[in-house]
Amino acid sequence: MAKNYVKYHKKTDVGPNQRLRRRSVFLILLILVAGFGAVIARLAYLQLVQGSYLQEKAVEQQLTDTTVSAKRGTIYDTNGKVLAQSASVWKVVLAPAYFETEEQRVQVAKDLAEILELDENDVYEKTKQNSYYVVVKRKIESDTREEIIKLQEKIEEEYNLSNVIQLLDDYRRYYPYNDLASSVIGFTGSDDQGLEGVEYQYDSYLTGTPGRIVTAQNANGTDMPFQYEQNVKAEDGNSIYLTIDETIQSICEKYMKKGIEDNAVANRGVCIAMDVDTGAILAMVTVGGYDLNNPYKLPENTQKEIDALPKDKQGSATSAALSQMWRNKAISDTYYPGSVFKIITASMALNEGVVDDNSTFYCNGSMTIADAKPIHCHLLSGHGTQNFTQAICNSCNPAFIQIGQKVGTEKYWQYYQSFGFSERTGIDLPGESEDIFFSQDGSMTSVDLAVASFGQGISITPIQMITACASVANGGYLVQPYVVRQIVNSEGNVIENVDNKIKRQVISKEVSDKMNEILEYNSTTGGANNGYIAGYRVAGKTGTSEKLTSTNGSEDYIASFCGYAPADDPKIAMLVFFDTPTGASYYGSQVSSPVFINIMSEVLPYLQVQAEYSDEEMQYVDTTAGAYVGMSVEEAKSKATEAGFTTTVKGDGDKVVSQIPAVSAKIPNGGNIVLYTDSSSEKEKVTVPDLVGYSISEVNSIASNSGVNASISNAGASSAVVSVSQDIEPGKEVSPGTVVTVKFAASETLND
Amino acid sequence: MTSFQSMVLRADVNRIYDEKYRDEQHYKSEKRFIRPEKNRGRDKKNKKRGWIVRGMGIDLPFCLIILVLLIIGMIMMFSASYPVAYYTMNDSYYYLKRQLIFAVIGVAVMLGLSFFNYNKLHKIAPLVLGISYVALLLVLVLPSNNGVHRWIGVGTFGIQASEITKFAIVLFFAHWGSKYYNKMQYAKYSIVPGVIIFGTTAMLLILEPHFSCTVIVFILTVLMLYISGMRVKYIAVGAVGIIAVIIVLWLTGGLGYAMTRMGGWGQALVYTDETMWQDTWQTRNSLYAIGSGGLWGLGLGQSRQKYLYLPEPQNDFVFAIVCEELGFIGAVIILLIFALLVWRGITLSLRAKDKFGKLLGIGLTAQIGLQVILNILVITDWLPNTGISLPFFSYGGSSLIMLLAQMGLVLSISRTANIEKQ
Repeated sequence: MAKNYVKYHKKTDVGPNQRLRRRSVFLILLILVAGFGAVIARLAYLQLVQGSYLQEKAVEQQLTDTTVSAKRGTIYDTNGKVLAQSASVWKVVLAPAYFETEEQRVQVAKDLAEILELDENDVYEKTKQNSYYVVVKRKIESDTREEIIKLQEKIEEEYNLSNVIQLLDDYRRYYPYNDLASSVIGFTGSDDQGLEGVEYQYDSYLTGTPGRIVTAQNANGTDMPFQYEQNVKAEDGNSIYLTIDETIQSICEKYMKKGIEDNAVANRGVCIAMDVDTGAILAMVTVGGYDLNNPYKLPENTQKEIDALPKDKQGSATSAALSQMWRNKAISDTYYPGSVFKIITASMALNEGVVDDNSTFYCNGSMTIADAKPIHCHLLSGHGTQNFTQAICNSCNPAFIQIGQKVGTEKYWQYYQSFGFSERTGIDLPGESEDIFFSQDGSMTSVDLAVASFGQGISITPIQMITACASVANGGYLVQPYVVRQIVNSEGNVIENVDNKIKRQVISKEVSDKMNEILEYNSTTGGANNGYIAGYRVAGKTGTSEKLTSTNGSEDYIASFCGYAPADDPKIAMLVFFDTPTGASYYGSQVSSPVFINIMSEVLPYLQVQAEYSDEEMQYVDTTAGAYVGMSVEEAKSKATEAGFTTTVKGDGDKVVSQIPAVSAKIPNGGNIVLYTDSSSEKEKVTVPDLVGYSISEVNSIASNSGVNASISNAGASSAVVSVSQDIEPGKEVSPGTVVTVKFAASETLND
Repeated sequence: MTSFQSMVLRADVNRIYDEKYRDEQHYKSEKRFIRPEKNRGRDKKNKKRGWIVRGMGIDLPFCLIILVLLIIGMIMMFSASYPVAYYTMNDSYYYLKRQLIFAVIGVAVMLGLSFFNYNKLHKIAPLVLGISYVALLLVLVLPSNNGVHRWIGVGTFGIQASEITKFAIVLFFAHWGSKYYNKMQYAKYSIVPGVIIFGTTAMLLILEPHFSCTVIVFILTVLMLYISGMRVKYIAVGAVGIIAVIIVLWLTGGLGYAMTRMGGWGQALVYTDETMWQDTWQTRNSLYAIGSGGLWGLGLGQSRQKYLYLPEPQNDFVFAIVCEELGFIGAVIILLIFALLVWRGITLSLRAKDKFGKLLGIGLTAQIGLQVILNILVITDWLPNTGISLPFFSYGGSSLIMLLAQMGLVLSISRTANIEKQ
């Protein structure tokens, strides 16, 4: 034992107690220095060296960014009428990760599907996702919202789930006028982004800046109590004032739709009204438009055609039909302008001084250029010898071929460019097309020049045509057309005023004045009074152009009318064209002129253009009936005669008890006022005669024989007019003296 | 004998009697402690200090360190747990309330055991080890929790069998080391029983499976044998043996569970796929929390990672939240308190009057230091995430009571320690 101890002692050189102490001290050092040292070093590295990086990563997952939608700006017409507006709606968002049981999912899916009118299985699929944000339905209205709130309360009560269904603010676009100016305004998509028209073109202005709410959230996505929240307010979008005038637009649409129906137009129509001095578009119609509140709904017959197709072709057919429906024909489609283009050819010839009032042109019915086939005039017998004005009024093709030859190909191309046909007009709408000329560099053959001088062979857009026409009217200045005149912010402060832009002067003021004179003559007293509006000085030109395409083997045409008023100081220019009329006539003078006249005769008074009637016109101009009730018969008679009316007295009384037409009612100049002296005679009736198909004097005599007044509407200064309609049907029983409005039209005008 | 002489004698006798009486009184009051002669008559200041140090007969600084850690741990555990308690239990105080109850019980057990004669454990140490083995076998037949068999008992009042194991290992080797202290240089008294005991224990633990505890048991075995006097070269031999065992386990697929727990170890920030991203979720968010703390921390209660980003922030990863809220400074201060506990625990154990006390005290104290180090290395992604709790901080009733009971034994040991005698 002792030996062992000694041996041990020698080996370790310490006693057992010393050994324990020494080893324990070593242990302490090991734990404290090595162990704790390593731990502290590790913490120092993580907290001091990597601290900011790790904190950044932590904050990244803790903070949640919620986007607050900005309200999209409003689109107004030029007078502040709302054309497009966003209103508050809601979106229903599901946080299915909160669901605890299958039963809850099934029940909530069932309830939601019922309220939101969705497929139950689709909703159920959404409840199975392990997510905190699944959009169930967007843009729900406030009544649906009420039901959702009730459902939220029910779920909270039954399952103690409070955040599973959420309602978030959203906006919906409303278009109060439905299809009005649809191709101009455009519409928005599901994310409130502009897809067509002004909505697309000015999307960045209208959209505004979405706000953000940055909050700290726990891993389940609900707010953390620690104080961190940063709000960036949503900035609502800017609002836009269009140059479009809702009243003018409505008038245009009304008559364009009528024109489409009356002439069985196959391929839509376009009407553009422009302020000639500024280029502001007052109305731009593509009929038929579409309901902006329901832009994916095709016209019924188109939808039927598509439904009849095989299933696999329906999708592409639908999208083709939709893009066709949304297409703004006024700027996206090109066409042969036809005779309307003679305005331009005539202007360039006058401006170059190659023609004057004394120039004469001979037409024998056709003309042969080089080796090509002869080009016929519409009047096959020929117009004979004409001066410049007559050539325009006759719309004589051979005459214009000669004018074109005088201008020459080089100058023709130069003016073609200067009138803005070779470039986009730059109108602030999406989808504007380019022209198609004979060649890229402007070179053309003599045959090309011949057809181009009367508007065939060159494809241009309607907006180019009206802009060029405006430059002829306004003293020669080519303007840039535009539809937005002002941008205001959400507080109503003006951000941007769009100034009208004059690109260049194309023709001289003198030439412009001369053209106004010639075109006014053309539309009123010239060969055809197809642009005549009583009291107003209208300048214009008809056009009937052949299309390259044809339907059912017969030639397709575009019937158009381009004009402006008043001719002595042009304010508004307007182009009306119908693509492929298939009715009784395809001539511009018969299809488009009446529409132009109807629109202008409403628009010009609206624009407060003073009507000035000639003496001849005055006899057809309506006036208003005076007040004769209460007077003695003698007194009433003399007063009425003084005012230029004739009188018919009914009954045996001494005093006038009533009158037809009533006080202030419309009555033609020199019309007959029926004065009643007792009530029994008021029951007397007369029958309205058939007044269609007669001259003005015939109508007047038939009307007076029947005991009614005829109000003559739209009769030209020339006597070659015939009545075409009356506002009260023949055969109807009316009181004597009732005013029947009779419309007149040119009897035979085919001068295209 | 003159009367004077007799008077002097009487006075002497009286004085001696008085002193003897005083000693007796002292002995009675101090029970088992014998104050050494030379410490008597120290100046007032020292007397006062001595009283504070040895006030109730236990080592007061050690006891205070424990209580300080317990209080800090409780506060931090509450801070870390209240969001998760609120969201999952609907009661922010859920964990705090329970931990408080266990802490009160635990402190009572600790103080009670400080009066317990730890020497009574000397002879029953093999029995305790046997009981721990029975417990380890028992959990295998009890229903598993998350695929592992660890808990004995019902509901919240269960105890992890491995808690008993760790204590039993320290106790057994303290018993063994003190019994064969002078023979520890021989292999058959050191490495041989070490391998046998560890091998048996490890086998049972791997069946649970509970790898982190296996690691702790291994380190504790080596540590106990080392301070008992085992030759250093055997440690090397043991290490080689363990590596061999690990290789065998690896080849037979027994490491499966640990390997899955190790999936993404050290990769928490460079996750490459969804699975790894999920696997390293807890560690990654622990690193985010630790890093977010920086030098000074976000402030008490200001952790953001505890809002459900860091799963179970009240358990093993509580110190990540401590780092986030109190920063590097706070973390180091807490680590220093732990260091103080280790230093004081080991030094006071060294003053115990017997080998068994010394070894037991050192073992129990070192175990705490070991768990602190391993726990923090886990939450900082230097060790695989295998479930090592942080003493005094991590939530868990039975382990807290167990921990405080062990500290009670260390306090009991401190009663025998001679503070002034080195």
